[in-house]
Amino acid sequence: MEKGGVKAWIDGDETAHDMLRRISAVRSSLLVPPLHRVPLRLGNVVEIVGPSPSAKTLILIQVAINFVLPREWNGVRYGGFDHSVLFLDLDCRFDISRFSQMLTHRIMEGNAVGDCDKTLYDLCMQRFLYARCSNSFEFLQTLKTLHCRLKREKDHGVSVHLLLIDSIGAFHWVDRASVFLSPKENNRKKLFLQSVSEAVVQDIKKLLQEYPMLVIATKSIIFGNTYSMASNEVNRCSRNVTRSPQQIQYREYMPSVWQSFVTHRILLRSSDDQPATSNYGNFSFYELEWLLPRIGLPDKIVVKDTGVFVDSRTMFAEGANCG
Amino acid sequence: MAPLKSMEKDHPLIDTHFQSFFEDFLLYDLHALIASADNHSSSNTFKQGIDQLLSVIDAKLPSLRNGLQLLQDAECNKLLLPTGFQGIDALLGGGLRAGQLTELVGPSSSGKTQACLTSASTVAKNGGSVIYFDTGNSFSPQRIADLVGQTSGYVVGNQAELGPLQRVMERILCYSVFDIYQLFDMLQQLKINLKSKIVESDHRIQLLIIDSISSLITPILGGSGPQGHALMISAGYLLKKLADDHNIAVLVTNHMVAGEGGTSKPALGESWKSVPHIRLLLSREYGSNVCNISTLKHPSVASGRAAKCTMYL
Repeated sequence: MEKGGVKAWIDGDETAHDMLRRISAVRSSLLVPPLHRVPLRLGNVVEIVGPSPSAKTLILIQVAINFVLPREWNGVRYGGFDHSVLFLDLDCRFDISRFSQMLTHRIMEGNAVGDCDKTLYDLCMQRFLYARCSNSFEFLQTLKTLHCRLKREKDHGVSVHLLLIDSIGAFHWVDRASVFLSPKENNRKKLFLQSVSEAVVQDIKKLLQEYPMLVIATKSIIFGNTYSMASNEVNRCSRNVTRSPQQIQYREYMPSVWQSFVTHRILLRSSDDQPATSNYGNFSFYELEWLLPRIGLPDKIVVKDTGVFVDSRTMFAEGANCG
Repeated sequence: MAPLKSMEKDHPLIDTHFQSFFEDFLLYDLHALIASADNHSSSNTFKQGIDQLLSVIDAKLPSLRNGLQLLQDAECNKLLLPTGFQGIDALLGGGLRAGQLTELVGPSSSGKTQACLTSASTVAKNGGSVIYFDTGNSFSPQRIADLVGQTSGYVVGNQAELGPLQRVMERILCYSVFDIYQLFDMLQQLKINLKSKIVESDHRIQLLIIDSISSLITPILGGSGPQGHALMISAGYLLKKLADDHNIAVLVTNHMVAGEGGTSKPALGESWKSVPHIRLLLSREYGSNVCNISTLKHPSVASGRAAKCTMYL
């Protein structure tokens, strides 16, 4: 926004109608299925929790593609947002060919001729920005320098509105152990679990003030069920066990500063009833449940080679839920 | 603060004091720091210092890459290495991908080591170098010789000239490793060698095998402390970094242990699951030599895909 625009905005004189239009422009259901249940806006922090594998990264890719695609291109409506996306890869195993494959599919699906528009493809690929970090140290360095990096991108006309983090708990064990390795000193913050999370949250908050973004972070479940139940008895007071009504639980391991930073939380788990394998041999099924805000009815999602979809067999439930 | 500690050797300036300063720098809120500095007389130089340090970090970190650059890197450098196992190749879409960590999970005698040996000999035959970390003395040069002879009709036993078999054997470097610390030492050494390009170009390392990584890691797991898990995750990151920086395919195996209810489960559990790019499950019916392979996890195909292939034992 240029100076004059800011001033005009501060001066007010925005009618309710204008405001509604402005807000709905960024607010109108930012996400595609399977994350379509709850309206999200820039500034929200969404956490996707699930065991590995549960299509977490795939959902991130799908959301990213929807962000980088234009609203309309050569008369074809793609329904994208024309924004750039920043992907912070803490797991260090992002596969760009998967992204490219899904983007190509999406572009081909959209246009009637069924071919992949090279200009559009290149444009979308350029809007996808990527950085990888292989320890908390690098992660913090990256976050500290994102201000100037995003500014540089903005000067090139690229504005990032989606920050993807895959996955936020990746360095949990290493950070937890590092407190034992470093020599004891007083009066200093140490680089370990609690302080790293504090710094991460602080840095992202600062970043969001300047660059409004939607943040989506994945978190893998790193404790098996049996283990969590066993140790549950021992340290009940220090650990926070989230129990969903279906008796499926995961153990929260991120420090509370991160937990309170998260505004929306989604739980993925593998679906119990696998349909007959004959037709569905190459698909996997998962259940997606909103934990924050809580929506009682889980969605069945199906993972195909072309992406993640809401299972059509549960579509009828959607009407019941909304009504 | 391991990354800085390793720099201490080359840069004497980065001593313990600097390390703790740098940790502080990363952990504190810079805006608050600047605000507090406003009260001092030297606030301007202080702000400049912060800006300079940030720009140094910025220059040191790899810059943001966009999708096209990533894809170009993937297409030029991240090649597929056929394993020689038709079933596995079909599942993986052509073979092991350089830059990725592939894991084979399976009970004892399900063909994990066989798959490792076959991959090693196939890659070596195609002209790449292989590093083989052997943790249980299961590496057998005789088997490699058999595999090379069997699949391409090389004559074994003619010692007079340096035949194709010898050249294949030369390209496979086998190291015995018996604990995780030894593995770390060797991987660090490998990293240094690769960085300083000690390895000649015609012996480019294409494949790194650890058979089995689980037997190195399981002894240090357990107990109440997080150190074991931390070492496991660090080993994973070290392998992935090596793989990505030097375009090496990494193949590791994970054995099965008894779980509750008479079922078996992989020895490395939930925390390890998020480390490898690809997980394949091997199983073999008792007495037959047909190996069933299915994908537990794959970045670009939905899991659960299965294939069968015959093993020669």
